[in-house]
Amino acid sequence: MPLSWIVLTVLAIAAAGYVLGRGRALQSAGGDSRKLHSLPSYYGTNVAMKVIVPSLLILLVWLLVQPIVVSRAVVANVPENVVASGSSMGLFMSDVRRVADGLDAAVAQGSLTRKEAFDIRTEFTNVTQRINEAGVALGSAVTPETLRAAQEFRTLNRIGSIAMSVVVALAALGGIAFGLRESVAGFRARNVVEGGVRLLLIGAASIAILTTVGIVLSLIFNTIEFFRIYPAADFFLSLTWQPSFGGGSSLGIWPLLWGTLYISLIALAVAVPIGLFAAIYLSEYASKPVRAIAKPALEILAGIPTIVYGLFALLTVGPILMVVFGDDGVGWMRSATSVMTAGLVMGIMLIPFVSSLSDDIINSVPQAMRDGSYGLGATKSETIRQVILPAALPGIVGAILLAASRAIGETMIVVLGAGAAARLSLNPFEAMTTITAKIVSQLTGDSDFNSPEALVAFALGMTLFVITLGLNVFALYIVRKYREQYE
Amino acid sequence: MNDMRKIERDVDMNDVKISAKGVQVYYGTTHAIKDVDVLIQDKTVTAFIGPSGCGKSTFLRCLNRMNDTIDICRVTGDIRIDGDDIYDKRVDPVQLRAKVGMVFQKPNPFPKSIYDNVAYGPRIHGMAKNKADLDEIVERALRRGAIWDEVKDRLDAPGTGLSGGQQQRLCIARAVATEPEVLLMDEPCSALDPIATGQVEELIDELRNDYSVVIVTHSMQQAARVSQKTAFFHLGNLVEYGETGQIFTNPQDPRTESYISGKIG
Repeated sequence: MPLSWIVLTVLAIAAAGYVLGRGRALQSAGGDSRKLHSLPSYYGTNVAMKVIVPSLLILLVWLLVQPIVVSRAVVANVPENVVASGSSMGLFMSDVRRVADGLDAAVAQGSLTRKEAFDIRTEFTNVTQRINEAGVALGSAVTPETLRAAQEFRTLNRIGSIAMSVVVALAALGGIAFGLRESVAGFRARNVVEGGVRLLLIGAASIAILTTVGIVLSLIFNTIEFFRIYPAADFFLSLTWQPSFGGGSSLGIWPLLWGTLYISLIALAVAVPIGLFAAIYLSEYASKPVRAIAKPALEILAGIPTIVYGLFALLTVGPILMVVFGDDGVGWMRSATSVMTAGLVMGIMLIPFVSSLSDDIINSVPQAMRDGSYGLGATKSETIRQVILPAALPGIVGAILLAASRAIGETMIVVLGAGAAARLSLNPFEAMTTITAKIVSQLTGDSDFNSPEALVAFALGMTLFVITLGLNVFALYIVRKYREQYE
Repeated sequence: MNDMRKIERDVDMNDVKISAKGVQVYYGTTHAIKDVDVLIQDKTVTAFIGPSGCGKSTFLRCLNRMNDTIDICRVTGDIRIDGDDIYDKRVDPVQLRAKVGMVFQKPNPFPKSIYDNVAYGPRIHGMAKNKADLDEIVERALRRGAIWDEVKDRLDAPGTGLSGGQQQRLCIARAVATEPEVLLMDEPCSALDPIATGQVEELIDELRNDYSVVIVTHSMQQAARVSQKTAFFHLGNLVEYGETGQIFTNPQDPRTESYISGKIG
């Protein structure tokens, strides 16, 4: 029975359980819902929960465990000598799996009957050809051993999935019976459903957290792997970045780190004053109708995909800078891709971050502060400069740090706007690159995944993660400290 | 006690500081102040009393044009300080507010040091020629605010770290530092405990020697304790205005009487 049918059956049983549970509870109260402990729908939901939760959990675990068990069983029956020298059991098993898939596909398409597929022999039929006709590509001709193992694989899988259907169905039926037995007037169905809701929410939260932990762990393990084959001292201290896939590459992080920080710095130098002044205008000077239009308009900037900003950098900002600073102008700039190009465009991207957060923070400065200052005869800008900004400063610093970690993690604008040359230079009109852009270029393409040139991406990612995590923690710390002051 | 005050009052009787005639205030379409006429005397404490929402704070905020900072608020009528129309086009509200200081309901020290809080006004108005001058102004203001002895050793500590009563006296010192001629106080003691209230009231009585003080209060005992003149507002109207003693002992209007005796409000 296919998976979707199993799930649909469980859901159908759950729906039936809902109706029956509701009815049974009502009946036990003599049709008077006021005599029930909970609303009738809670009794129904309780039964449905008892059906769905255990059976789908069993289904999930079964789906994870069955492939492992089946593979083990098949491997155990394969004689040692069939695995060719220079090959491995893993490769043999992937052949077996492909043959099994091919036979299944052939049956599904009707080119073989079920019985033919079961009786097929390499001695009598060109199995390889039949499977290729079914649309599954095979690397080599099918040997009798492979075929035998594949048949065993198919048989075990069939038995497994039938057993799974039966067990899941039994669990669902057991659930409905158990749930219905509970559905009497005195049962506290409402509390049980409440507990179920709580578990659901805990589950959602833990999936988010566990995923983060998983990502960090995968980063850490791969980074450790990298440092096993490449000396950490070279990575952290070398000033050159020259990966060569033939080996003997120099993978110093400094040129990339410098490029990252330089571009981020220019981006912040653009975004912070403009964003902050925009926020001050919006929160202190703009009239209601202006604010109602200007604020969403500014926030549209945040909704533009970064690749579009990248194109803007490549096609518009770069050439314009070229006219002024290029060979026809001042002569500092050799190509349109440069730190300045990427930094300016990234700065534009960050404006709404800074302005939107700062606007909220400035608005949360109590009106009493403004009144106090106006009451002493201060003008608007004196009030802003001397009272509101100092009061809002911690929050604004938090906003800037969040924008900074966004800038450090940005990739697309850099790839398109800053070029790909890793170099240590002070000239902002030269092409440089950042950590994120290099991670992309190290991991794309046909490189051996176990080489230091590919694994360095994880060490770079880890460095980046540590930097942005530090910035975020610092920003949150400052924002929280600020909150304590006024609430 | 009352007789002594009477003598004092006679001396200053002719000295009108603020005169308001036919003042109307609208918040959008709401008519908040209806045709109020009042004459406020110099070197006198004038109390505005009345139930919540009767317009006494709104009227107070007309006197230093703080209502200008509210977009939907519109003020008409004639308000003069020392005979000059403060709603005249040539009057800069910012300059006016330096002349008419204000203390608010909730203590609102700026998130700066105690010294900088007091020096704020003198600095923006360029009142001090040098640092020594400024130090002197700050000390004088803090002494007038009756808080100098408590804070003289920690002028660099943040003003927000003081207790509520100290914060309010700091705000009064801050308002006094710009050397205003009129001091407006909008329920200055409503966020304070009785001891701090007593200190602030004592301070108000002292300030009367130099300023015309206008205080909005919900506490009728406070009005009776600190003021010489009392105005009773009700639903945007100025119902009754006169000597404090007379308002509390022999009110002319039945509404004043029922408010004072606790029947409305």
